Amino acid sequence: MTETTVHVVDDDPSFRTAMSRMLRASGYVVKTYGSAGEFLAERDSDEPGCLVVDLQMPGVGGLDLQSALAQSRAPMPVLFLTGHADTASTVRAMRSGAEDFLEKTDPQDRLLDAIRRALVRDAAERRARVAQRELHGLFDTLTAREREVLGHVLQGRLNKQIAADLGIHERTVKVHRKSLMTKLKVRSVAALTRLAQEAGVDGPAAATFPLGQ
Amino acid sequence: MLVGACITLCAVSLWAWFRDRAARAHLAFSGAALSVAVYAFLELTLLHAQTIDAYAVSARWAQVPITTLLVSLAAFVHFSLGTGRGWLAVCAVGIRVAALPANFLTGQSLNYLEITALRSARILGEPVSTVVAVPNPWMLLVQASGLLLTLFVADASVTAWRRGQRGASVRMGVAIALFLLAGHVQAILVFWGYVQSPITISVLFVVVIGVMLYSIADSVARSSALTRALRASEQQAALAVDAAHMGIWSRDMSSESIWANPTWRAMFGFAADEPLTSRSLLERIHPDDRSALQVALARAIEHAGEYQLEVRVVLPDGQVRWIAALGRVESGPGGAAVGTRGATIDITQRKHAEHEVLRLRQDIAHVGRVSVMGQLAAALAHEINQPLGAILRNAEAAALFMDDPAPDLAEVRLILDDIRQDDQRASAVIGRLRRLLQRQPIEKCALDVGRLLDDVAVLLRSDAAARQVHVEFDVVGHLPPILGDRVQLQQVLLNLVLNGMDAVDGLADGFRSVRVTAREEPGQAVEISVADTGPGIAPDALEKVFESFYTTKAAGLGMGLSISRSLVEAHGGRLWAEPDCATGARFRFTIPIAAGGG
Repeated sequence: MTETTVHVVDDDPSFRTAMSRMLRASGYVVKTYGSAGEFLAERDSDEPGCLVVDLQMPGVGGLDLQSALAQSRAPMPVLFLTGHADTASTVRAMRSGAEDFLEKTDPQDRLLDAIRRALVRDAAERRARVAQRELHGLFDTLTAREREVLGHVLQGRLNKQIAADLGIHERTVKVHRKSLMTKLKVRSVAALTRLAQEAGVDGPAAATFPLGQ
Repeated sequence: MLVGACITLCAVSLWAWFRDRAARAHLAFSGAALSVAVYAFLELTLLHAQTIDAYAVSARWAQVPITTLLVSLAAFVHFSLGTGRGWLAVCAVGIRVAALPANFLTGQSLNYLEITALRSARILGEPVSTVVAVPNPWMLLVQASGLLLTLFVADASVTAWRRGQRGASVRMGVAIALFLLAGHVQAILVFWGYVQSPITISVLFVVVIGVMLYSIADSVARSSALTRALRASEQQAALAVDAAHMGIWSRDMSSESIWANPTWRAMFGFAADEPLTSRSLLERIHPDDRSALQVALARAIEHAGEYQLEVRVVLPDGQVRWIAALGRVESGPGGAAVGTRGATIDITQRKHAEHEVLRLRQDIAHVGRVSVMGQLAAALAHEINQPLGAILRNAEAAALFMDDPAPDLAEVRLILDDIRQDDQRASAVIGRLRRLLQRQPIEKCALDVGRLLDDVAVLLRSDAAARQVHVEFDVVGHLPPILGDRVQLQQVLLNLVLNGMDAVDGLADGFRSVRVTAREEPGQAVEISVADTGPGIAPDALEKVFESFYTTKAAGLGMGLSISRSLVEAHGGRLWAEPDCATGARFRFTIPIAAGGG
């Protein structure tokens, strides 16, 4: 796993340098970019970290960068900085889901707290994303028939009903059911239901696998 | 009796001429009257001559008064009609004078080579003498001269008539011409011996004198009527001068005396009996206006013309008044200035009103700037916080570096340099803001167009970034400096660009742009255009947008364009909206280039 990095995107070179100096002196690994485009081009998606971005930049602004990032496979907590937090820009940023919104002249500890929080969240989200991916990998091992059976099981149908629906023998249903529970490492239907919920799989959609990336 | 009357007339008109040297007709008249008197006397001796010799002597001397009479007549006609062919008069008089030697050197007089007999006759029961004599051929000269003079008088009368002079003087000219003709006809008939008759030309001459007298009496009557009319119009003028609170003054250059009416004295703070001199007058003028007044006066005197200017007058109590002065220099016959006359009006109130209007205009412009700054407030706070934030982060970083047991001093030095630069950046922005927000009178100087656009670009940058509008500044070619007030022209540009940014507000990303282009305009001006990609202006609103309180914005006051136009016009330029623009609205304005700049 690569190092945790704070990415600073700002069109003002002087502020960029000062920010980078302070964060480095505070013990962070810092990378700076002059524009949103530069960041998107150079970004390593596996890298853990957070993004500190100037809200007002010519061309692609901070909010645009946030939405582009949110749609990517590896989102990253975004911290907005602005020269002056007027009502209009604050409302706009909050509406777009800004996590933190700081003025450039806010004191150091507020900024470092916000960065710390963002990194903690990034780590948590990253862990959740890994778990999710593993879970999806587990579900992906199921065969098409097993997925069909899973879908029916999650809807609370009996083996007999499933057999009738799928036009197969009840014993065959039992075999599939046992196999998928073994693959998913669960012993009870209750545990199966909980796992499916975690993976975001519900009854009717169960047949639309794979989930993993 | 005739002689006495003529001498009296001569004396009276000589006195009249003495009183008024310009009335030369009077002098001519007195000459004529004197000549007639002398001639009448000589004629009397002719009529009563008892011997041929006595007759001849009288006849010879009678030519002298006749000559002077004719000279006087020519002069009289010339002066009283003011016209006539000079060469005719000069010929007539010249020939007549040339005939005088012949009078004394040939024959027994100019009329007779030799008188052979003296006869007696009776006129009105009075015994008179006539002669039988051989005519002198030199007499032809006299008669040619008389004919020329008659022609001169007749011609002068006709010319005067044609010019529209229909008065007694023209009638007089005609009468003189007729009597001259009659006199000469009589002389020809008698002297050439066609008619045996005594000489009675003096009677005709008396008629001529009478006609002349009538003419003079008529002109005297008219001049007294004129005097009355003049007095009446003077009174009316004085009334008008009083009603208009007009100060009137005149200055005689030769005596250096200055006269002024009471209004003028009150205006300049002089007491009614206080003597006026050029120096005391100049001392009343505001020191800043003295040289302008002196220059104007000197120029008027040099060219014998008029002057007109507005000056401040400082009264003895310190009160300052604005005075509009109008004067005319009067020149003498030689063209040299002999005096000055002038009128003055107190325009203090008007000047105060003008200053008030100017002040109000500046206030409105200032309010406009404050309102523009209001629109930009958030963006400008951002613009200032940018360097302040950088300074803060650098200071924090430096503090952290210094916590290190072996701090990187080179890095700290770099940080300090950056802090200094950012500080300057922040104060530059604040300086720009302060200049824009100051309330100051218009101050025109040569401005670089590129720098002007740069200043505006800096002020707009943050707002443009926040609103995601692409604002572009473009200078075409090398532009000469323009003559203008930096703050006011920034205000105009800010207004136009902010309007453009408002116009593109609702458009999709990438379609919001405002373009400012400056180029040299043939005709001593630089034209700056501000074009946006918004919906444009309806053709019928192209002029309306410049009216006060006309606005299409929810939060707009509708003053921006109206103020901008008045600012541009105060610079001697024009501001207008383009009628046909395929892509949005376009405003253009011109500012004259600075003298010597291009």
